[in-house]
Amino acid sequence: MTIPAKMPEFIWGRQFPKIKIDHTKCTVPFLCKKCLEICPVAAFNVSRVMSLEKKLEEMDPRVDGNYVLHVSRRDKCTGCNLCIEVCPVNAISIEVPKMERLRPEVKGGQWTS
Amino acid sequence: MCWMCEQFGDQKHGDGLWYLNPRNYARNMYKLRAPGEKPKGADAGLETGVMEGPSIQDLISAVEKNDKEGFERMRKIMQEVGQGQQVVPLADADKILELSSPIGLESCICRKADRARDERNEFQYTCMGMGVGMLKWERWPERYKGGVRFVNVEEAKEWNHEMDDRGFVHILMLFGAPYIGGFCQCDYPDCGALRSAVDFGVGTLKSHYLAKVDYSKCNGCGICAQRCQWGALKFETTSGKANIDMFKCFGCGLCHTACPRQAISLVRRESVPAVAEVWL
Repeated sequence: MTIPAKMPEFIWGRQFPKIKIDHTKCTVPFLCKKCLEICPVAAFNVSRVMSLEKKLEEMDPRVDGNYVLHVSRRDKCTGCNLCIEVCPVNAISIEVPKMERLRPEVKGGQWTS
Repeated sequence: MCWMCEQFGDQKHGDGLWYLNPRNYARNMYKLRAPGEKPKGADAGLETGVMEGPSIQDLISAVEKNDKEGFERMRKIMQEVGQGQQVVPLADADKILELSSPIGLESCICRKADRARDERNEFQYTCMGMGVGMLKWERWPERYKGGVRFVNVEEAKEWNHEMDDRGFVHILMLFGAPYIGGFCQCDYPDCGALRSAVDFGVGTLKSHYLAKVDYSKCNGCGICAQRCQWGALKFETTSGKANIDMFKCFGCGLCHTACPRQAISLVRRESVPAVAEVWL
């Protein structure tokens, strides 16, 4: 078993922004696609609503409810508000948890918060 | 040597690289799912973004809950589901295309989901499907409603070189190791395979190569710095030359193919001790 010499670094325990989508307002995401195209971190994800009887059919993006918008990568969301500004039906809301200012004090050569 | 080479490589072929072992392209490596058995991995629903087992969402929750053990456990499972998909530089990609048949061009599912790109004709396609799995493409109608263009080896190579010029990374996609099912053409952030590797260290293995700068040849034009998708290559202002972080380098070779002065070469990962076994 190899041990990766470098792992992606996380702030463990950090709360990521919570992005809520109002699906009653956002009904044709694959047709509108404004938030999908504008997000700098590509946090959104659009997918077809799958059902067994429609599995082999092509689904029209203009029909309400054929496609649904998800949030797939909220870990990189910064709350920059671009998606909220661009959304024509005001379906997106973001709640960014407050992050404390880190104020390090030197104690015995070690940084503590 | 990566664990894929240990398991599926052959020293007699292609320097022991698993993807240059012709045996891995044989028909019987393609897994047929038994009736009643649940689909796994990409087969479970690439269209819906629903995979069996842990997902990136679970990893995000694990970071929020400060659950390092859970994170590691899920990461290992996801690595198994990903089954060793790997970054491949352009020169090796040419050799792979010579081994694989049939080859078809199609729309990219990641770009469709993450950026709502609806690739509808052969001029828009940004994904390459390979191997016998291409013959059952009608099983995924949503994926292939833009159609498939079957190409011969020369056309496939030419197309792959075009994609390289555009700045896409070539990632081998596996559907049941070591069966090779396609070449993803990836960039950050809209490609799932590349992004999971950069953000969470899951799924995609780094290539068998590393990019190395010859500082006597580099004139600091900065073309390579525009192409790195991994955040590994930057322009160092002090020296006025390209600077590569080898820990972050995935060895895709995009900087190597773009350099007008051939100042960036690809060296074997084994030749650089500290990162020789860094595959994730």
